[in-house]
Amino acid sequence: MPRLSLYKPTKGNDDTFFDKRMHEMFTVGGVDVNIHLYLGPLAQPNISATEPGNTSPLSTGITGIQDLLFLENRDRKYDTSVYTMRTIYRINDNDFDLTQFGLFLTGDTMFATFHYQDMVQILGRKLMVGDVLEMPNFIDYYPLDQGLPVALKRFFTVQDASRSAEGFAPTYWPHLWRVKLQPLVDSQEYKDIINQIAAGENTTDTLGQVLSTLDKYIGINDAVVQRAEQDVPASGYDTSSIYVAPVQDDGYPADPNENDTSALTTPPTGSAIDDPQAIQNTPYKVGGYLTGDGVPANGTTVAAGISFPVSPTVNDYYLRLDYVPNRLFRFDGRRWVKIEDSVRTNLTPGSQNQTQLSGFINDYDKFYENSVGSDVIRVANVYTPPANAITSSFSYTSGNVITKLHYVSSYGVKVKINNLLITGALDNIVIANATGNIGFTVSNTLYHIGDTIEYTVYSRVVPQRQSLSQALRPTADNQ
Amino acid sequence: MATANQQFFYDAQIERFLAQFVRMVSGFQVEFGFDRNGHQTLQRVPVYWGDGSRQVAQIITQNAAPNVMNAVPAMTVYINNITYDRDRVQQPDFVGKIQIRQKYYNENTMEYEDKQGNAFTIERSMPVPYTIELKVDIWTSNTKQKLQLLEQLIVLFNPAMEIQSTDNYIDWTSLSVVYLESPNWTSRSVPIGTDNPIDVATLTFKLPVWITPPAKVKKLGVIQKIVASIHDSDGNLSDSVLTDDNLLGTRQYFTPMNYGTLLIGNTLTLLKQQDVETPRDIGGEDITGTPVKVGTPDNWAAFVNIYGNLSPGISEVRLLQPDGVSEVIGTVSYHPTDPTLMLFNVDIDTIPGNTLTPINAIINPTSSSLTSSITHPSAGTRYLILGDVGSANAAPSSGPTLWRGTDGVDLVCHANDIIQYTGVHWFVSFDSQTDTTLQYVSNLTTGTQYKWNLNQWVKSFEGEYKNGGWTLVL
Repeated sequence: MPRLSLYKPTKGNDDTFFDKRMHEMFTVGGVDVNIHLYLGPLAQPNISATEPGNTSPLSTGITGIQDLLFLENRDRKYDTSVYTMRTIYRINDNDFDLTQFGLFLTGDTMFATFHYQDMVQILGRKLMVGDVLEMPNFIDYYPLDQGLPVALKRFFTVQDASRSAEGFAPTYWPHLWRVKLQPLVDSQEYKDIINQIAAGENTTDTLGQVLSTLDKYIGINDAVVQRAEQDVPASGYDTSSIYVAPVQDDGYPADPNENDTSALTTPPTGSAIDDPQAIQNTPYKVGGYLTGDGVPANGTTVAAGISFPVSPTVNDYYLRLDYVPNRLFRFDGRRWVKIEDSVRTNLTPGSQNQTQLSGFINDYDKFYENSVGSDVIRVANVYTPPANAITSSFSYTSGNVITKLHYVSSYGVKVKINNLLITGALDNIVIANATGNIGFTVSNTLYHIGDTIEYTVYSRVVPQRQSLSQALRPTADNQ
Repeated sequence: MATANQQFFYDAQIERFLAQFVRMVSGFQVEFGFDRNGHQTLQRVPVYWGDGSRQVAQIITQNAAPNVMNAVPAMTVYINNITYDRDRVQQPDFVGKIQIRQKYYNENTMEYEDKQGNAFTIERSMPVPYTIELKVDIWTSNTKQKLQLLEQLIVLFNPAMEIQSTDNYIDWTSLSVVYLESPNWTSRSVPIGTDNPIDVATLTFKLPVWITPPAKVKKLGVIQKIVASIHDSDGNLSDSVLTDDNLLGTRQYFTPMNYGTLLIGNTLTLLKQQDVETPRDIGGEDITGTPVKVGTPDNWAAFVNIYGNLSPGISEVRLLQPDGVSEVIGTVSYHPTDPTLMLFNVDIDTIPGNTLTPINAIINPTSSSLTSSITHPSAGTRYLILGDVGSANAAPSSGPTLWRGTDGVDLVCHANDIIQYTGVHWFVSFDSQTDTTLQYVSNLTTGTQYKWNLNQWVKSFEGEYKNGGWTLVL
C-alpha cells in the first residue's frame, strides 16, 4: 500500500479537485474585473542602438524593451479587446495623502487574487506588471461635477505579480495568482488606453478627458500665469503713465516754448519747419533698467515701419521694426537719433517673448536653401506681372501674392521690401495653397506704392534651432 | 480701554514672486513616443502649488479620488523656507524719495492722457531682506521624461534668472533673481525596492527678495517762496508763514519760470523776459493805451503742462498787487480758439477797494463833443479829467464857459484830477498835483477800476506782471 500523500510529482485528481473548488470560490465569492492586456511597446523608429524600435526583436512584442539604456517601456501597446474574469480582493480604508502631488491615498495599494488556470485560459498568459484592470464595482455615479457625461470608472495597474501564498493547495501545487494593484495615473505609459477608449456609452470623450486631472491642472496653471502676466505684462518697468517735462542740462525744467537746442536751427532742404511747436524742447523719457518700450515720452505719436519716412520734420519719431529689438528714433533736423530700444518683452514663453530664452530655446526662425524661383514686384494699385514672371498675381490691398509654382507644403519663402529683408517678428510669412500654387501674404503696412517686393521660394527650409550635438550633421531628405 | 488696531496692509509681495516663479517654470513640455497611429505628441507639464488644501484636492478629484487619475508628468512649487538675510541688511531707517509726475488720468475713459496729471512724492522705507527657498518637485513616470524636463530647466539658471514681482517703476523691491541651488535626482531609493512610490526629482531654488512696508504717497511739494526768518520782530511766527496756503500743502502753487504775464481785459498772455508790452507801463495799464505783446506767441497749454493739468474754472491765477501783500485772484481756462491766450475770470471780491467815491465818467475836457448835459449834470456827478482846464492865475469868470458854474465860478483843474459838481459849479475833489497816496476809483460807466500810481491813472490790476509777480494755482 502506497504511503498516504497529497503531494504528487504530477498534478492528479486531488489537485484538480482543489482547483475546481477554488474556481468555484471565485465564481461564488469573486467579482468581475475588466482587463486591458499589455502587448508590448508601440512601434517606434530606430533612434539609437538603445532604442532600436521595431527594427529589433529586442524591442518588439510582449518581451520587448523599448529603451535598453533606461530599461523602460514608455509607449505601451494594449490589447483592444477587453477580457473579463473574476477576482477576489480585500478593500482597504484609505485617506488623502497630500504629499507633493496631493491626490494620492494612503493604502491605495490593493492586492487581488486570480484563479491561475482561469487566468491563463482567458488571457492566454498570466497577469503581468503593466496590465491595466478596470473594477466595475468601483464605479462612481455621483462625482461633484454633475455635468460629467458619464459615471467615473476606476482603473488600476498591475505593479507586481506573483504566486499567492494562500493559493497553494494541500497538494502543494499553486492555484492562485496574486497581483499588486495601484490606481492608474494619466501617464505616457497608458496613453494607448486613456486616449483610445471612450469614457462611457453615451460619450465620445476619452477616459483621459473625463478621468484625468491634466486639463484641470493646466487650467489652474494658466490662471496663475495669467495673474503673473497681469502683475508683470512685460519685463522691466512701465513708464507709460509717467509724465516727463523737458529739462535743461542742470535738471531744471526747460521752457516748452523754447527751441530744442539739440535741433538744427536751419533745417535741411526738404525738411520744412512750419510748425513752431515742432521745434520745442523735447522731453526725455524716464530712464532705468529695461524701461524702453519703443514709445516716445508722454505718448507722442510715432510711426513704425522698416524704412525711415522720406520727408520727416524735426521731432518726428519713428520706430524701426526691422531692428531686433525694435529701435525708436527721433529726427533732429539732420539725422535720426536713436532714442531707445524696445527691450521690454513678454516673459511668458511664446512668440511675444523676445528674451534670450526665446532667441535660443523658443527660436522659430528658419533658414532657406535651394531656390526654386524668385521675382520682384513693383507695388502698384493694380499690378500686372510680366508674362515670364513666376508671379501670377499681387493684390495691393491685401498683400496677397500668388505664384505660378506648384504648392509643396515643405517649401518656404523669403521676402525683401526695398532690398530690406523682413526679419524678426515680421518673419512670419508662410506659404499657403492657392488652388494648387504657392501663395503668401505680405502685411500691407510694410509697403507703399512704388516699393519693390522681392521674394524667393526655396525648396528646403531648415529650422535655425537645432540640438548642438546634431548641428551640421546630415539629415535624411525624406524627413 | 480697547487697544488700537494696527493699520492693515497686505501687498501680496511673496505671493507675486510665487506667481512669477510658476510662470518661469511653466510651459515646458515632454515628448512622448509614437502612438499606434504613428503620431508623436508633446504634452505640456502643468505646474501648480504643492501645498494645496485637502478640500481643493477633493474637489479636483470630483470627490471620487481613486477613480480620478492623476496626470503625470507634473511639477509643483512650494516654499520650503524663508529666512531673514542678515548679510543684505542696509540702513534700516533709510527713506528713499522719488518725485513722479503722472499723466492725467481721465476717470471717464479710464485711460491716461498725454498731459500732466498730478505730481507726487513717494517715500519708500528701507525694505527688509529675506531669502525664500522654493522647491520644485518634478513627478515623472519614467527616466526619459525626467531627463527631458531637467535638461530644459537646468540650462536656464546660469547662474540665475531674473524675476520681477511687478513692473511698477517706483517699486524698488520688484527685481530679484532665482538661483538654482541643488537638484535632487530622485525621492526613491536606487535601485528600487519592493515598494513602487512615485518618482520625484526636486530642484531647490533661492530667491533673495526684499519685503517692504507700505510707501507714503504725497502730493508733490514745490518750494514757491523761501522765508528767511519764520519769526517776526516780536518773536511770533511770521504772518507770511501762516497765511501762505502753499505751506499747508493743499494745492500746487507755481511762479512759472521766468515768465511774466500780461492781463488785458479778461485775457492773459505769456511774456518772456525779453517780451515787453507796448506802450510800456510799469505796474499797470494806461487808461488810454492798447498794449500788445512784442515777441513770438507762447502756448499756454505747453507751459501749464510742465506743472500739471489745468482745471477750467477751478485753477487760478493770482496777481500780486503793488502793496506786496494783496492779490487779485481769478479763475482761468484756456481760450477756446487762441492757444496763446488764457481767459481770466476775476473774483471781484479780490479787487482792491475804492479809496475814492466812484466817478461817473472819464472826460476829455477839450473835446468838441461836450454838451451841456455833460458839463452841467446833476449834483454830485464826478468826472476824471484827462486834460487841464483853466488857470489858477486867470481872472475870475475868464475860464472856459463850458465848465463855468451857473454862479460864474470857473473850473480850474489839471489832467488826472477828479472833479465833482455841486449843482451850481465844479470843484476839484481829487487833486493829482498834491495827492501822494495810492488811490483806487471805479468808473460807474464802464465798471472799470483805476489806480492812482502817484503819476497817472492806470487800470487797477490789468497790465504786466513780471516774473515773481503772479502765481499759477492748479
